[in-house]
Amino acid sequence: MGTSFDKILVLVGFISLFHSAYSAAQHRSYLRITSQEFTTLPLDIVVQAVVSLFTVMWGVLNIAGNLREIPAANELNTIRWETQRNLPSFYIFNHRGKALAFNYVPVAGKADLENLE
Amino acid sequence: MSVVTKIKDNKPEPVAYSEAALRNNAAVVEYCRTSMAALSGSTAGVLGLTGLYGFAFYVIAVVVLWLMFMMKAGSNWHKYYVSRQSLLTNGFLGALFTYVLFWTFIYGMVHVY
Repeated sequence: MGTSFDKILVLVGFISLFHSAYSAAQHRSYLRITSQEFTTLPLDIVVQAVVSLFTVMWGVLNIAGNLREIPAANELNTIRWETQRNLPSFYIFNHRGKALAFNYVPVAGKADLENLE
Repeated sequence: MSVVTKIKDNKPEPVAYSEAALRNNAAVVEYCRTSMAALSGSTAGVLGLTGLYGFAFYVIAVVVLWLMFMMKAGSNWHKYYVSRQSLLTNGFLGALFTYVLFWTFIYGMVHVY
């Protein structure tokens, strides 16, 4: 995903694009008031609009997400032996062998629970 | 005769592509393409382009986006895209409609009203 730099790039580009749009509208209304003919926009507005367009495009490109490598083997190659061996169904939490320890205290079984009352 | 068939069999080995990675990359490209169409349409409207100049601007924007994709992938673009040509031409008309929509809308907002 994109860094915060790219997000700032997109935000600044959007603001700049909006500003150039506002400038163009102002220029148009100025021409209307002074009753001049519209030929082209001033060069600075054109440059600002195009530059901010490319800025936003570059930022969006980086925000859109990372490209993944398409050859099928590439992602399988990164899987390690530890990951392959990790089978949750075969986890062992308890083993009867610990009953052989000399300090083993038996856990109260179901029959003892019934005798408590 | 047998020599000819042997030459025909000398095709390059087929490459297996990861389906999930292909779909992920296509989604990224589609996202960028739609954003590019909307943004460049807005810019064309701001600039007050009319007629064929607007469509020429769209072509320029598409090519620039393609160059940006190439820059992002770097020299080993084979790892990320199946082909460069289809990256350039895919969805050209579909994004053009989005472009024209934003172009006319922003043109009306800035230059007409």
